[in-house]
Amino acid sequence: MRRAPRLHWISILLGLLVLMSVVSFHAYTAIRPEPVQHAREHRDLPERTLALAFHGGPDPKWTPRLLATLREAGIKATFFVTGTQVTRNPDVTRRIADEGHQIALDGFRVEGDLGNPLNLAFAQAALADALGTHTRLVGAPVEVDSGDRDYQDIGTLVRMSLQHGGGVVRLHDDGSIGADIARELARTPGYRFVTVTGDRPVEATATERFTGAVTTWSQRNGGLVLTLLGTAIAIAALLGLLRTLMQLGLAHTDRRLRREGEHEPPPWFAPPVSVVIPAYNEAVNIAATVRSIAANNHCADVEVIVVDDGSTDGTADRAEELGLPGVTVIRQANQGKPAALNTGIRKAKHDVLVLLDGDTIFEPGTIGELVQPFADSQVGAVSGNAKVGNRRGLLGRWQHLEYCAGSNLDRQILHALRCIPTVPGAVGAFRKAALTDVGGVSDDTLAEDTDLTMAVTRAGWRVAYRQQAKAWTEAPSTVHGLFRQRYRWSYGTFQAMWKHRGALLEKGPMGRFGLIYLLAFHLLLPMLAPVMDLYVLYGFIVADAPLALIVWTVFLLLQTASAGYALRLDGESLKPLWAYPLQQLVYRQLMYAVVIQSLITAWHGTQLRWMSVRRTGLLTDAPGGTVHVT
Amino acid sequence: MQIFVDANGSRRVVARLVSLTVAIGLIVFAAVIGGTLLEMW
Repeated sequence: MRRAPRLHWISILLGLLVLMSVVSFHAYTAIRPEPVQHAREHRDLPERTLALAFHGGPDPKWTPRLLATLREAGIKATFFVTGTQVTRNPDVTRRIADEGHQIALDGFRVEGDLGNPLNLAFAQAALADALGTHTRLVGAPVEVDSGDRDYQDIGTLVRMSLQHGGGVVRLHDDGSIGADIARELARTPGYRFVTVTGDRPVEATATERFTGAVTTWSQRNGGLVLTLLGTAIAIAALLGLLRTLMQLGLAHTDRRLRREGEHEPPPWFAPPVSVVIPAYNEAVNIAATVRSIAANNHCADVEVIVVDDGSTDGTADRAEELGLPGVTVIRQANQGKPAALNTGIRKAKHDVLVLLDGDTIFEPGTIGELVQPFADSQVGAVSGNAKVGNRRGLLGRWQHLEYCAGSNLDRQILHALRCIPTVPGAVGAFRKAALTDVGGVSDDTLAEDTDLTMAVTRAGWRVAYRQQAKAWTEAPSTVHGLFRQRYRWSYGTFQAMWKHRGALLEKGPMGRFGLIYLLAFHLLLPMLAPVMDLYVLYGFIVADAPLALIVWTVFLLLQTASAGYALRLDGESLKPLWAYPLQQLVYRQLMYAVVIQSLITAWHGTQLRWMSVRRTGLLTDAPGGTVHVT
Repeated sequence: MQIFVDANGSRRVVARLVSLTVAIGLIVFAAVIGGTLLEMW
């Protein structure tokens, strides 16, 4: 296999980081904490000189009125603005500057919070965006309190403003009273009005303006990003809920129908069967697989064909050494799994074929159960129930849970909708006529089982699911191995979906339900679900942590309950359920990564080859305990 | 030829270029913003 593309992961992670920064900054600016008291410098002004210092603005309603009053009175004042207000009212800020008043900074979110250097930087960035300048006057000096926050009587306010016969007077422009006091002070004879300092604003550099534009955009549009994230979450949650409801509803109906069937079972159907086992470097498992097939209790002839696809580890020798009757071993040069399957299918002498991988263990009754649906002549393929044989360790448990709560429950829904998209390579049976109809197994995709099943459905055959036909398979025991296996499955499924996209326009269950189901739950949901994790993370860090925890817990409980029900339906113990919440933290994200990686690979057009899973030969949870072949 | 596989590899080159541009763009973007904010302190 060529090295998988990795550069895109850097782009994706950086993009997510930028997105998180935008929404976090938006949330930061949306909150207005308590004003902060800070040490003030003393600024000496001559006798009977007033510097009017307005705080709390700019305000879209009151600041323009104040500006009109100051213009009439011919007074130049100083506006100690707050950064977030500047971003909200850039036009008013520009008017203040245009009319010759001095702009100074008093805070970013609230008055006096510039003790935090990051707030100061954000406030300067806001000014750079609105005015193209930054100011040297940061933080108000010692001021004469006009009392405008505490009193309303204009006489009192003027008296308080003039109590020291001059100085910097503290006023506010986020209410009507500021303009009234200014008007009265202007009428008081004998006073001169100046700005707090004579500093001229400094031109902002290009990068300062750029930073200002970005922070302003984030403050204004972070809400929009949050809305988009929220919409994605709503769709993901809806899909998740829909899937759970469908799983529960249909699995329940299916179960009821089967129970009814048990009361009056149809006559046992026992056609002769050809079993085809394609194997590539399966020396560790092949003997156990072939033995388990040979030990079947099927009531008719069972022919076993092992096709060794150019193995280098003596797989064919191991199969031949068994010396079991009815087992044929065919060796061929390495041509890939589809070619090996086609060889086996050609050699098979019976009309019903069971196809299984070289790492799968059948129970004695599996073949007999698997062929039962063929009693209906419209059934062209039957999917068995694949089970994880190595459940020791967290990874094994997680996969066991996923097989039961994900794949098998899915299969029951799709069985009810009559559009099972995959008869798994681990355990499936086909009518030879159906395989002939579709021209055998194609090598167009890496998921030849999905491709074949879709083709069989499109050819007009029904595909059934037989839960009782259990097969034990070895699941990957390392995260890397699991990623590679799922990557191949997911990529192969997308290939098969694309190959059979025409089915969407055809009459028949594959297009109407199968492809749409796969699109919704195997493509859209895994793409949207990471946003949910991101949102929960945002909720924990920035917004309402308890609410985020509640939402997350409710979803987890819902999913755990659904998984528990799936285990019950499959006749499994509920014990491994404790590992389910942990699955949400590592395993789920791994599965998203698989889907994203598959899409990127499809876009890149990289040629992937068969990726085999490293075998250990340990199927400790298969019936009969340890099936370790030495 | 498998589904999606690009015969001459041109799509791969284009995709890599897009990824590279996006990654470098985002790094430069973050560096400019971070650098300016640090300078303004």
